[in-house]
Amino acid sequence: MKTKSGTSKLLRDLRTLRVIVFHPNDQDGQDIIRQLQRIGCQVQAFWPPAERLPVDCDLVFLAVRPETVALDLPWTTAEKKPPLIAVVDYENPTTIEAMLKFSVNGVVASPVKSFGLLSAVVIARQIAAREAEQQKQIERLDQRLAGIRRLTKAKAILMETRGINEEKAYEIIREQAMSKRVTTEEIVNAIIHANEILGYRAKADLAPELQLVRGRKPAA
Amino acid sequence: MTIPEVLCSSGPSAFKQRKGSSGRSMKTSKDPFKVGVLFSETGVTATIEASQLRGTLLAFEEINEAGGIDGRELQPVYYDPASSPGMYKILAEKLIVEDGVRTILGCYMSSTRKAVLPVVQRWNAMLMYPTLYEGFEYSDNVIYTGAAPNQNSIQLADFMLRKFGSRVYMVGSDYVYPYESNRIMSDILLERGGKRVADAGAGDFVAVVEDVKRQKPDFIFSTVVGQATAHFYRAYAEAGLDARKMPIASLTTSEAEVAEMGADVAAGHITAAAYFQSIDTELNRRCVAKVKARYGSDTVTNMCWEAAYFQTYLLAGALNAVGTDNIQQLLPAILNMQFNAPQGPVRIDATNHHTYLTPRIGRAGADGQFEMLLAAPRPVKPDPYLVDHAAQDWSSQVPATHAAGRMSVQ
Repeated sequence: MKTKSGTSKLLRDLRTLRVIVFHPNDQDGQDIIRQLQRIGCQVQAFWPPAERLPVDCDLVFLAVRPETVALDLPWTTAEKKPPLIAVVDYENPTTIEAMLKFSVNGVVASPVKSFGLLSAVVIARQIAAREAEQQKQIERLDQRLAGIRRLTKAKAILMETRGINEEKAYEIIREQAMSKRVTTEEIVNAIIHANEILGYRAKADLAPELQLVRGRKPAA
Repeated sequence: MTIPEVLCSSGPSAFKQRKGSSGRSMKTSKDPFKVGVLFSETGVTATIEASQLRGTLLAFEEINEAGGIDGRELQPVYYDPASSPGMYKILAEKLIVEDGVRTILGCYMSSTRKAVLPVVQRWNAMLMYPTLYEGFEYSDNVIYTGAAPNQNSIQLADFMLRKFGSRVYMVGSDYVYPYESNRIMSDILLERGGKRVADAGAGDFVAVVEDVKRQKPDFIFSTVVGQATAHFYRAYAEAGLDARKMPIASLTTSEAEVAEMGADVAAGHITAAAYFQSIDTELNRRCVAKVKARYGSDTVTNMCWEAAYFQTYLLAGALNAVGTDNIQQLLPAILNMQFNAPQGPVRIDATNHHTYLTPRIGRAGADGQFEMLLAAPRPVKPDPYLVDHAAQDWSSQVPATHAAGRMSVQ
């Protein structure tokens, strides 16, 4: 027998979802709205698609029609965009290109059936949530990587100017941070900054740091 | 003709005499309305489906005795699908294509409904489904007259947790309805800090009951359906467990299953349903008396019988209102239709095609009938897409004592 421990939040949240439907007021549009209301979402419908989202929302349905493929909808490519589900009546390359341009998270085919809409909503939200989480993680990794680069650079400056090894350079940075009660990051920035201001070298000599450590691999 | 106890909000013409409206020749206006009926008299769920068949046919008889649909006979076309989804599909197609029916009354297990669904959609026919089920479905071509989970599961879970405790042992058949029922029960358990002690499938019930003895849960939640129900309750009784202390709670164990297992075996166990034979209204007493006169004094009614019975009246009401079984005209007439059913007033919700029903909790007695422990004061709106039942507190709707004095808690 199948068992689960608690229903997924993606499903439990359905009743509080604010949904915008960009769709003409026709049979499909009405079917979508009725089914979303059965599911229990709060729905608002508009047509044609707006350049800005008219209200805060958690999910958007967008009819991708021949007459709207050329539209520029900046919110579809914004950094924090709501999950987006396309409603398509054509499956030609032009329509598909438009869906790619709008970076949709799911597709519903016209004529719309009540079956499948709930799955499309939940899966699109999962994909969008996962994407947002991955984006956040990429940003965190980028920051960490930049930090490591700057540390390497600061160590290289110390090694070069004081004629010490990498281990000693790192020790100096750490001791400075501890005695001044600041982060090693701030010390690193101060070293690089000071080095740039003092600028006793030609610009080309400052970078890149790997050259400065003279063939030795930097330790993180 | 007039069909008593039927109210229809779909228009003033509903349920009024239709006198030979223009455009219909005398010949066609005398043709019977053929209605497909698919309930199993054989196979694993034959007991309960046979009672649905009886409820349906009783309504046909009554409607025809009262003059039919504006003088036209309401004619059932019946086949036995033998509790098999494959047979259900084939016979639904046969009813529509060969027999020319536009409406089918039938199905018990979800698997059989899912088999018929694409058929009625393809031919734009209508299915009326008189069985509680797991929800999460809507079709333009289906009317659902059994309980959605918000009309029985939440009430049962709430009642059992309050009265018996929060350590639950779940026993269930292996298909979609038990999964979904267990999900709802588990969510409510989690919400209240309860515990799912153990799970068991429907198989070796002697071993299951042995395990129940070891685990000592506060109660058992059973989603066992069909013939296995009697086996399970019997194994429980034979193990000497006390139903008053650690009852089995079910959404499907009705008077029909109780009759099959024996009243002594069922006594003390709890069931949630919108209808019990013991409901004390004049209409229900009359219906039960009719069933006993027609099928024998030991015949019982139950929640599925009742839904099958009243949905046939809803269909007749709609046919009477629009004079055609074309779904385009028929469906709008059924939506929002009200009917005074044996359980009390029922109504079809126009937005989701499910039915307003009155949730009740009953305890099986030594006479095979359910003693009412709790009843909602009014019909509850069906909400088949409700995921989070835990957030819904039903208890505040319940009056402390009922006027009749027998619906108060224990």
